[in-house]
Amino acid sequence: MTAGKIRTVWHAIRAKARALREIYEGLYVTPYRSQIYRAYLQERDLFLLSSFSDLLGAPNPVLFYTLELYPELIEQFHEWHVRMGMPQAPEGGFRCC
Amino acid sequence: MPGDLDVGGLARSLLFFGGKGGVGKTTLAAAVAVRAARGGERTLLVSTDPAHSISDVLGTALGSEPTLVGPNFWAVEIDPSVEADRYIAEVKERIAEVTPPRLVAEVERQIDIARVTPGAEEAALFERFTRLIGGLGTSYERVIIDTAPLGHTLRLLALPEHMAAWIGGLIGRRKKVTVLSRMWRNVAGAAAGSVREEDPILATLEERRARFHRIRAVVTDQRQTGFVFVLVPERLSLLETERAVRTVAKYGIPIGAVVVNRLAPEGSAGAFFDGRRIQEQERLATIRASFAAYPVFEVPLLETDTWGPATLDRIASYLSVS
Repeated sequence: MTAGKIRTVWHAIRAKARALREIYEGLYVTPYRSQIYRAYLQERDLFLLSSFSDLLGAPNPVLFYTLELYPELIEQFHEWHVRMGMPQAPEGGFRCC
Repeated sequence: MPGDLDVGGLARSLLFFGGKGGVGKTTLAAAVAVRAARGGERTLLVSTDPAHSISDVLGTALGSEPTLVGPNFWAVEIDPSVEADRYIAEVKERIAEVTPPRLVAEVERQIDIARVTPGAEEAALFERFTRLIGGLGTSYERVIIDTAPLGHTLRLLALPEHMAAWIGGLIGRRKKVTVLSRMWRNVAGAAAGSVREEDPILATLEERRARFHRIRAVVTDQRQTGFVFVLVPERLSLLETERAVRTVAKYGIPIGAVVVNRLAPEGSAGAFFDGRRIQEQERLATIRASFAAYPVFEVPLLETDTWGPATLDRIASYLSVS
């Protein structure tokens, strides 16, 4: 076999493997994809809530030790209220936009 | 060596002096510090009591940075309000780089709000205190801390354990987020887009917890740390000390010594002193029984005010074993 031929066969195998992978994903992964995404977002929101419990009146004893998280968390808070259908930050929360 | 302090508890490199208000903890802490510095150890005397009196006892003005007050001898009075401002300024500086420009104003506003929350000053005090203790073994060979009245101090000493536990809870939550974020990246491919591999939040939390664990390891190490209880031979002082000893032991903080201060001096006569002495003997017997596990020192009431190096040295002489 020439080098050219080897390359052609190799490409054909690769294409078949990709097709198989797409079938697999379509059958098994896609249905779970949105569920995983939802679980991920839920867990993120829960973390946001536990970090900012003081905003809801529940004491947060480590507030003073976690101030460095603010830039990251306020960004996530912004992403959260947009996702919740509030284009502007709700009253009483962060003025992120 | 004439300057030798008791090997039992007062020779440890980190000493906390605590007791009910007005029993003489500042004077005794200063006396031990004067003696240690004279013995050639680089010594730092720290006051965390909001009603600072170390400067009065030493007869020198002090500030919130360690001041050299004698050979090998530094002293500092920590002001919680100054510390809180300093901490806030540091946090702002640290996060300046990572904050998106449009959020800078809001992040700073939130941090300023945190500055006025209850607990901010206590936390800042603790922060500073951690840093000064961190100087042990490098800048100083001895750190002697004159604490605020007992309840406050116990809270401060329990802080690392409680905070580490709370942050541990947040870390657990955050790990779930990272696990799900990884799963999402695996199934989403390009759609995951902005979801990053490393998590700065988790890293910050873990770093925090590690610091709490480190300070906790130091304050519970009985080879280097000792809590010294100062009391006067009176009922109220004794009862409070008994409670506090139990609490300190519960938090795993080693107890270095018990000092009974202001005993009626030998040679004092008259009905008043005779009466006091009878009561004192009873109290002393109780103290010796209650605190049998620790060295107990007795310091008499002096005929003079207690301040200045000469008097402090005289007081320290009652704290030697030889």
